[in-house]
Amino acid sequence: MITPMLAGILFLSWLLIFCAIKVATTKNLVHSVFWLAGVLLLMAAVFVILGAPFLAGIQVVLYTGGVITLMLFGIMLTQRKPDTQVAMDAENRGPALATAVGMLLVLLTAIWGTPELATMTPSPQMVGASEVGKIFLSTQLLAFEVLSLLLLAAMIGTIVLVRKGDH
Amino acid sequence: MLLQVLLTVAAILFCIGIYGVISRRNAVGVLLSLELMANAVNLNLISFAMFNENGAVGQAFTLFAIALTVAEVVVGLALVVLLYRTRHNALLELASDLKR
Amino acid sequence: MSPLQLGLIAVFTPLVVATLLVVIRPLRHTGKPAAGLSILGAFASLGASVMLMVQSLGAHPVDVIHEVRWLPVAGETLATIGVQLDGISIPMMLVVSLVATCVQVFSFEYMNTETNEDFGRYFTWQSLFLFTMQGLVIAPNILQLFICWELVGLCSYLLIGFYWKKHSAGRAALKAFWITKFADIGLLVGLIAQYSVTETFGWDPATVTALSAAGMINVVAALYFFAVMGKSAQFPLHIWLPDAMEGPTPVSALLHAATMVAAGVFLIVRAFPIFIAAEQAMPVISVIGGVTAIAAACIAVVQTDIKKVLAYSTCSQLGYMVAALGAGSLMGGYFHLTTHAFFKALLFLASGSIIHAVHSNEMADMGGLFKKMKVTGTVYIIGSLALAGLPFFSGFYSKDLILETLFESAQHNPIFWVPFIACMVTAGLTAYYMGRVIILVFFGELGEKSSHAHEHGFAMTAPIVFLAIPALFAGLGGGQLAHLYGVHDFHFAVVHFTPVGIAASTLAFGGFAAAYAIHGLGMAGGLVNSLTPVGDFIRSAPIDRSWLFVYRSILSAGAQALGWFDRYVIDGAINAFGASLINTGERMRNMQTGRVNDYMHAVLMGILVMAAFSQVWLRLGA
Repeated sequence: MITPMLAGILFLSWLLIFCAIKVATTKNLVHSVFWLAGVLLLMAAVFVILGAPFLAGIQVVLYTGGVITLMLFGIMLTQRKPDTQVAMDAENRGPALATAVGMLLVLLTAIWGTPELATMTPSPQMVGASEVGKIFLSTQLLAFEVLSLLLLAAMIGTIVLVRKGDH
Repeated sequence: MLLQVLLTVAAILFCIGIYGVISRRNAVGVLLSLELMANAVNLNLISFAMFNENGAVGQAFTLFAIALTVAEVVVGLALVVLLYRTRHNALLELASDLKR
Repeated sequence: MSPLQLGLIAVFTPLVVATLLVVIRPLRHTGKPAAGLSILGAFASLGASVMLMVQSLGAHPVDVIHEVRWLPVAGETLATIGVQLDGISIPMMLVVSLVATCVQVFSFEYMNTETNEDFGRYFTWQSLFLFTMQGLVIAPNILQLFICWELVGLCSYLLIGFYWKKHSAGRAALKAFWITKFADIGLLVGLIAQYSVTETFGWDPATVTALSAAGMINVVAALYFFAVMGKSAQFPLHIWLPDAMEGPTPVSALLHAATMVAAGVFLIVRAFPIFIAAEQAMPVISVIGGVTAIAAACIAVVQTDIKKVLAYSTCSQLGYMVAALGAGSLMGGYFHLTTHAFFKALLFLASGSIIHAVHSNEMADMGGLFKKMKVTGTVYIIGSLALAGLPFFSGFYSKDLILETLFESAQHNPIFWVPFIACMVTAGLTAYYMGRVIILVFFGELGEKSSHAHEHGFAMTAPIVFLAIPALFAGLGGGQLAHLYGVHDFHFAVVHFTPVGIAASTLAFGGFAAAYAIHGLGMAGGLVNSLTPVGDFIRSAPIDRSWLFVYRSILSAGAQALGWFDRYVIDGAINAFGASLINTGERMRNMQTGRVNDYMHAVLMGILVMAAFSQVWLRLGA
């Protein structure tokens, strides 16, 4: 039974997996960042299909906007020749593949070996920004504040780490 | 069926991330692969939230996860810059001080 | 005062003195006052013992056993300690305290060249010894006897090594300690064996019956006798006693002549019910006693050191006692123990007096001393005659009794001919070597170092003169002693003539005559010269050397084997274990590449394993 939702997700899934493989394997680091941007955008699309447009927006703004820019700056700061194809792969490609495949097998066993998952149906609802915002400022207020504290700590930590002169 | 497909996609992304984390020599590359893994987890969270009556809480939780990932990326990049400053390269095998 | 109170006074006064002297250091270091305190304690012990003796010679003999429970275990008592005052212990208490008092008084002057610290130390140990010896004598069971037995051994060790700065004294103390400890294994094993069979440490008839029923009586008696061989210096464990002469001479008189070495004989006397029931062990005991008597006498003949002569003589006389006890005569052994204590202590103290005057132990340095030291000379001769067993001296009665007992036993069991003949020959030898000492020391040419000799003060002459009285007359108390011991078939007679007695007396006279002929008149020089190599051989201490050889070959080889085992097997195992750890560590170290990727890989593999396990668990386990 192929619903339009499932069809859309299956289509996006192929693209996602392709982009992800490119992220993990491409030789050029800058290309890798752009492939990651692709993954993040596709993920935002999936979020929209799943009924989370606010989250999709956040994903685009925060990830595709912020993180990708940060990554590019990181590469810019650490590569002497930006276009040089740095040797990206370690010699332990085989073991890495083995571990990844092993983990995938275990996860697939868990997912497809659990019949309850097959019979579950999605609840057709869209969750907008206002609802999420209410949750942040009501039941999850404490977690929200702790998170802001964490972001502050991360910011200060970053500044301390990269500050020049005291090494 | 739909949930299983979503979870499978997330699992595949997660495992591709594993492969990248282990095999990348460049610190930025490792961070990119970590982003893949984090996104796979986010996809899982959203999927379960969609199959739940109280999906809004799941979305809020996902937002927390995204914020955490961003913080992690920021600190990680700071470390990469630091590594480059001391080793003049971002190759992770140069940072093998733990061995000595 | 009741007998129990008197007994406790006799035992614990020296302990109080010793404790005071040990704990209060300034008092010990005062020297003379400490010695005075110790002598007072000895006199108190002597007084209590005399009163006990008087009481038990009266109409109602003292027979008190007072025991307190010791080592209570789960409501039951493992053992008791206490006081047993009867006809066996009271005479010994009197002997011990009397000799100890005489020796301490004698030491007061004899040791006066020592520093105050050493003086106090000496008397501390003397008091401690008196306590432990009295505790041994009054022991109502073998366990308490064993404890005190070890303690007197400790005192012996301390007093032999009194001049510990002298290398030979330290060695002698160690030698005495180890050899007696080696023998004491017998006592320890024996009393464990006895307890495991009978669950008592006593020597009452019920215990003996139980031991006999279990077939253990001979084993236990033999084990006890092994300890006696060490303590009472029986052949071939006698080798520590001559070396023990390294201690001060009064110590030799008290410990190594009169009392401590007699503790072994006293053990046989005390536990006589056990020994008399051991019918197979007894002839062996008697033969060992006889062999000791004659062997030690032979060695004594060739000694040049005046104390060594007496030391071997002590061995010899202890052999007499053991031979008599082995023949089943409690009276013979114990009577001789009593008389011997007096005249041997007298001889040692008199020797001490001579040594103190001449500043040498060698008889070659002496000679012609009788004119210089009339009192000492007189009592020395009295002691020698008593030792030789000349008629009407104390030794005569006890020695005759032994010889007659052995002769009688030989009629029933031919094995007793061995100790009998040995003891008969020894009677002659004893007279000979004592005569030799008398002639060499007191008569003849004035020795090189003896020209300035002179008699000593009251504290040294009074004890030896006093001891001469029992040396002369103690034999006359045989009847009373037999009564005390509970021996009823012994009839004492001041003047008695039996074939054995006449033969022994004749041999003793012959010994003296031979000594006079050879050493006084210089006759039979050719014979003496031809025997010189024999003398040299005996003086070179062949038995000591064989023990040394045994010690080296067995113990050292064993020690070396154990050392090898320790070095190569135990150490090797430990080293191999350590090396394997290091080796494993070296290999494991390579796991730590220092690469971040590898660590992440490890973490992820760990997660993989956990996830896989949870899946397997969920699907197969539950």
